[in-house]
Amino acid sequence: MSKHIDSEQKLERALTQALEGLPLRRAPRTLELRVVDELERRAALPWWRVSFTHWPAAPRVAFVAVCIALVAATILGGVFAFAGDRSFDQAAALLLSWVQPFLAVMSSAGGVATLLVRVIPPLWLYGGLAFGIMLYVALFGLGAAAYRTLYLRPSSVGDAL
Amino acid sequence: MRAYQDMVFSTAARLAGNETQAEDIAQEVFIRAYEHFSDLRSSVTAGGWLKTVTTNLTLNYLNRYRKRWRFFSEMRPATEDSESEAPEMDWEIPDTILADLSAEQRCAIVDAALRQLPDHQRLPLVLYHFEDLSYQEIAIKLNVSLTKIKTDIRRARAALLPLLQNGGAARDTLDG
Repeated sequence: MSKHIDSEQKLERALTQALEGLPLRRAPRTLELRVVDELERRAALPWWRVSFTHWPAAPRVAFVAVCIALVAATILGGVFAFAGDRSFDQAAALLLSWVQPFLAVMSSAGGVATLLVRVIPPLWLYGGLAFGIMLYVALFGLGAAAYRTLYLRPSSVGDAL
Repeated sequence: MRAYQDMVFSTAARLAGNETQAEDIAQEVFIRAYEHFSDLRSSVTAGGWLKTVTTNLTLNYLNRYRKRWRFFSEMRPATEDSESEAPEMDWEIPDTILADLSAEQRCAIVDAALRQLPDHQRLPLVLYHFEDLSYQEIAIKLNVSLTKIKTDIRRARAALLPLLQNGGAARDTLDG
């Protein structure tokens, strides 16, 4: 173990010595031209084609105001279309008339589920649950194995050591 | 820009291990620098700002690939990343590597060797040896456990050694 640690420390020292003071890579000559071209291209774009944060102040304020107005109009339009000529109480009653059947259906479904839980032996329920979990894990494992086999590079340089 | 373009390109190229990607990243770095030109013009830390932005952009560039790799690679048993599973170095480790070569020759061999390492080994190795980050800082930057960072760097060093030695030997043969 000590020899192993010594080897690692020796390797780190040797590599540090080999890597330190290396000159910088020379950037391609085309880099400066590319940057200038890209800046010119972006500068030539009209303001509505660039990011919202770069828009002039007036269009930004106008855009936000229009968005708020649209949202408000949509909500108010929906409320008025629903309420029509009815009073607030009538509109609320109409809304609740839709909610009550929905709650009744949900309540019935809950009752059926409770009944099933009572009728079916617990062993079957636990078995079914375990089977479902096992299928999920198997599917996940299969996916992971397929990913590692088909996608990842087969044994990289370092992993082979 | 001319004063910093080699530094930016070097950082991106060594981290990404790909010159085309490095050039794209360097271009984006300088465009961001242009957008912050008023702040950077008089700043004495402009070089540090550029280096940080380059590192972060490169990591972002590689991020989507790294996320996919990490998701499954960290599903290995915990013992695989432990000290006991560290690569055994049963060959002789020299006191110096490439010491008899010029800096330019060493640079070429090192960069070629780095390109052969997989991302998850090259990134922490470059951040440690070239960017002078600690293991802890690298773990935070890459959002990977400290143990895994240490293992990856150890494996990267073990993988790099024969590549450098082979590169040095090939260079000697060519020179000879």
